[in-house]
Amino acid sequence: MFGRSAALRRDIERSRDMLYRMAFAWCREAALADDLAHEAMEKALRSAGQLRDAKRLKGWLLRILANCLCDHARARREHVELAAIEDSVAADGPTPEEAQASAQLVLRVRNAVGGLPFGQRQVVTLVDLEGCSYAEVGEILEIPIGTVMSRLCRARAALRERLRPFVREVLGFRLRSVK
Amino acid sequence: MSEENRISDELRGAFVDSQLEAADWAQVAAQMERDPALRDDVCELRLLKDMMRHAYTEPPARRRRPAARPGLRWPWLAAASIVFALGGWFGHGWWSGGPALDPTSAYALRGDWQSLRGDWRTLDGSRVLMHVSSGAQGALATALDEVEDLLRSARAKGRTIEVEIVANSSGLDLLEANASPYAARIAALRQEFPNLALVACGRTIARRTARGIEVSLLPGTVIAPSALEQVIKRLRDGWIYVRA
Repeated sequence: MFGRSAALRRDIERSRDMLYRMAFAWCREAALADDLAHEAMEKALRSAGQLRDAKRLKGWLLRILANCLCDHARARREHVELAAIEDSVAADGPTPEEAQASAQLVLRVRNAVGGLPFGQRQVVTLVDLEGCSYAEVGEILEIPIGTVMSRLCRARAALRERLRPFVREVLGFRLRSVK
Repeated sequence: MSEENRISDELRGAFVDSQLEAADWAQVAAQMERDPALRDDVCELRLLKDMMRHAYTEPPARRRRPAARPGLRWPWLAAASIVFALGGWFGHGWWSGGPALDPTSAYALRGDWQSLRGDWRTLDGSRVLMHVSSGAQGALATALDEVEDLLRSARAKGRTIEVEIVANSSGLDLLEANASPYAARIAALRQEFPNLALVACGRTIARRTARGIEVSLLPGTVIAPSALEQVIKRLRDGWIYVRA
């Protein structure tokens, strides 16, 4: 029993970077993300005994994180939408050549993700960053799987719209080269 | 394509997310064989997914703070190091649903090397980038096996081909002089096939060095600024991308 508990604790602590990354993707603010990840870890460590199936650790942790974020939003009486994305980012962003730099690519994508409605942002990041199944996302966010799919669909449509010039440019090179 | 046969956006998404049952997956795959527009669409979705992963591989550095313990608000324990696996942006290889292998669909679908080897008509004169981001022994061995098969098959068929192995994250172990379990084999391959190039990710090297790990690469290994930049550069130059 003690062995399982110690191993679980270690696994929770090792999840810190994963929690921070997801929190950052959701709230877009590094300091807040760090606080949320820390808080989620503390809560998880305090209630580790409640986790019956260690294989479900990641989903369980992410659910705690999502709840922490909701609590935070309620406490601040504001939504965690911290800044609206500037449309000019996509319109006046780097040229295709400049976009080759990975830092610019990262910025573009993060801006596009940050411009999504919060619910869509949560779903698409859980699926794409953590590889969660639709069922897992439904459990983590406590929403029906149909809602997961529709939010995901809308999120991707919006992301494609914002990132289309870059996506097309990369794929265009790819496709042209094999003709 | 008639509207009734259209694969819905939800289904396309579920396809790239590997959320479909076998029958549905086969239906989408079959439709892709017939529908270039669908292939391109799935291709875009996969690229988008890869870009997402890459964008958050390295979020801003966290403040250094101790790890949490139940009951203690700020315990004095060493903070976990930030180690993110770089990679996964272009996590897809080849697909062939039959003899009509279309290289433009290569990026779109997860695939297998059997398919790649199965149809060489489209590969003559091609340049293939093999991306290795996992240091798992099985993954490294498979990557090398496939590269060797690819090179030998091309030579046997008199095909011209260039192959480049790009390694990052834990996949860098493959090119580490002191860690690679396949150093001798790679050296022999390089000697036999001058058209095999080795490229290491500069960012992975920098991260290891920052952690006090000395990185010594196999002879002939070139260092790229980052694996991502190398992959994008190669894609733009018309290389075929394959994920180990």
